[in-house]
Amino acid sequence: MVTRAPIVAHMLTAAILAAAISVSTPARAADDLSAARDLTVKQCSQCHTFDKGEKHGQGPNLFGLMGREAAAAPGFVYSEGFKEALKGQVWDTALLERWLTDTLAVAPRAQMVYFQDDPKVRAKLIRFLESLH
Amino acid sequence: MKRNTKGSKLPRREFLKTAGVGAAATFGAVTLSSKEVRAATFDAEYDIVVCGGGGAGLPAALFSRWLGNEVIVLEKAATLGGTSFKAAYWYWVPNNAAMRKAGMEDSKEHFLRYVARLSQPQYYDPKHPRMGLSEWEYSMCEAIYDSASVGTELLAEKGALPYRHVAPVPDYFAEMETVGATGRVLFPKDGAASMSDGGQVATRTLSTACRRDRVAIKTSHRVQKVILNDKGEVIGVEAQNDDGMYRVKARKAVLFATGGFTHDAELRKNFLSIPVYGGCAAMTNEGDFIRISSKLGVQLRNMNYAWMCPVSFEKAIAKDPSLIGCFSVAGDSMIFVDKRGKRVVNEKLHYNELAQKFFEWDGANAQFPYLILVSIWDQRSQEHSASHEYGRLIVPPGLDDKHVIKGATLEELAANIDARLQKYAGQNGGMRITADFGDNLKASIARFNEMAKAGKDLDFHRGERGVDLLFNGNVKEEPGRKNATMWPISDTGPYYAALVTGGTLDTKGGPKTNPEGQVLDLADKPIPGLYGVGNCVASASGRAYWAGGSTLGPIIGFAYRAANAASKEPVKA
Repeated sequence: MVTRAPIVAHMLTAAILAAAISVSTPARAADDLSAARDLTVKQCSQCHTFDKGEKHGQGPNLFGLMGREAAAAPGFVYSEGFKEALKGQVWDTALLERWLTDTLAVAPRAQMVYFQDDPKVRAKLIRFLESLH
Repeated sequence: MKRNTKGSKLPRREFLKTAGVGAAATFGAVTLSSKEVRAATFDAEYDIVVCGGGGAGLPAALFSRWLGNEVIVLEKAATLGGTSFKAAYWYWVPNNAAMRKAGMEDSKEHFLRYVARLSQPQYYDPKHPRMGLSEWEYSMCEAIYDSASVGTELLAEKGALPYRHVAPVPDYFAEMETVGATGRVLFPKDGAASMSDGGQVATRTLSTACRRDRVAIKTSHRVQKVILNDKGEVIGVEAQNDDGMYRVKARKAVLFATGGFTHDAELRKNFLSIPVYGGCAAMTNEGDFIRISSKLGVQLRNMNYAWMCPVSFEKAIAKDPSLIGCFSVAGDSMIFVDKRGKRVVNEKLHYNELAQKFFEWDGANAQFPYLILVSIWDQRSQEHSASHEYGRLIVPPGLDDKHVIKGATLEELAANIDARLQKYAGQNGGMRITADFGDNLKASIARFNEMAKAGKDLDFHRGERGVDLLFNGNVKEEPGRKNATMWPISDTGPYYAALVTGGTLDTKGGPKTNPEGQVLDLADKPIPGLYGVGNCVASASGRAYWAGGSTLGPIIGFAYRAANAASKEPVKA
């Protein structure tokens, strides 16, 4: 059974953030998400799809990633290197942060080769991926 | 390693003005006077600047680095690997070390004879000193023989690209060879037994070596201009990133490895001799170097040919980034038919040659009658030949099957094929199936079934050549079958279909280089400091696809030679 704690924590954070933002600058929050979506699509759509029910590409569909067990998207054929390193772990902000910083540091034999040393870019990618529920 | 030259000179806006850079994305070259060079603001400075981090750029960067240079890779995409990431990454290396060790003969003369025969069949002359090749073509092919193995061994020795020798894999025209017909194909060591995932393994090992050996890497940096000094020497580049412009000074050389123009419809339409809808190159392969070099007086060569493969018509139209060419046309109870329902080709012909069929011209009717063919298969092939590998059209449940058309009966299938074609009326010249498609299809299947039972394709010789079997894919085991590529198509449904056309792995034309990778001007003189390797420059292969890996093997040889020549370049002011 997958632990639910990270999802709850994430939902709470998101709810608080959303509340705070909705009081102050709803337009800006939408802009931020839109910018995050644009960046993610630009950087990741060569391999990934994002909408619910979309088919996998070179990489798995990322809808509902947060809170999901790694290597568990139904119908996607994961590499052995990815499964060895990540099986049993659950995608949360911390894991995604480490993954996007350097995939090969997390899973040395992963197929996905991505390293992003700019925390602002990582934050945008994570912002969008968190919204995929 | 990075020497920042910021601060002392022109403010950025001034530099942009000096350099002639507007707000819109423009490509080309900028020449600066010596005063302007001194005053210019660069974000960084390296010995060698490699543009593109794919199958040519990563080896070129490593070879350059191992010669003691400070090197940066500027990659347009967010990830490394380019087209090669999507490739099976077989690499074709004549007279490779594994062949030599195994005592497999592969003389230079035999190699050159084979590539000459295939690259320029209309000029081939075994008695001619260059066998009918031009001096340039001959010298480029010699360079492949001389250097692909040297580069390959260095990459392996340094742990950047360990390989395994797949000795039994034949060249695509092995029957023309008395020597070297097998043994030239290498594959990344940790790749799968099915040899389909080499690109992912190679991208990982090459980029790990780059980072280990301190090659600087900037992703999401699209190089748009080269910068020259007033002596006409290339001294740097401008790249666009998410924040604006990034300018790098190159002390010795700029090396382009930015891929072909598969994803630029205008360049495809104006340079390729055939109406290709797209292909499986990285989406970033938009002919950037063609546009950049157009200001430099280069000689564009081999622009009319591409590395070809059949592709799903619908995925190509959709510009689906996950599109992989049909390197293996799967299924035994499967045929291709044209819009009349007639078989027109050996479906198991290997990909580059099969792809030519789509572009046959019907002069009397002024059309490409086979531009889109229909692959048709039954439940048996669906169950036993489905796979996620090699871009197969027959895919297992769970994978993207939007390109698959279904029908409980052949009549229903035909109606659904016609409906699907009509969806693309504006993109396929209004192609429809003909009124007699259904009858012809039944006759085609009946004849195919009869020939499958006998194990002999009297019409198109399917399964007769070794290379037909190489890409046959999985088929259901049948005791005593006579032809592994053919089995009768079922009398009962369900049936499946997919629209297929010819596409490009990538194009293979661009500025002409010499065998050292130096880009040549109109007088055949190297443009100082400018190099090109891979699909962004002219290939000497003409239309030929010599063997599996005849893209990447030669590229490693040219990357090695270019890095060595660039490393010897004088430092430019």
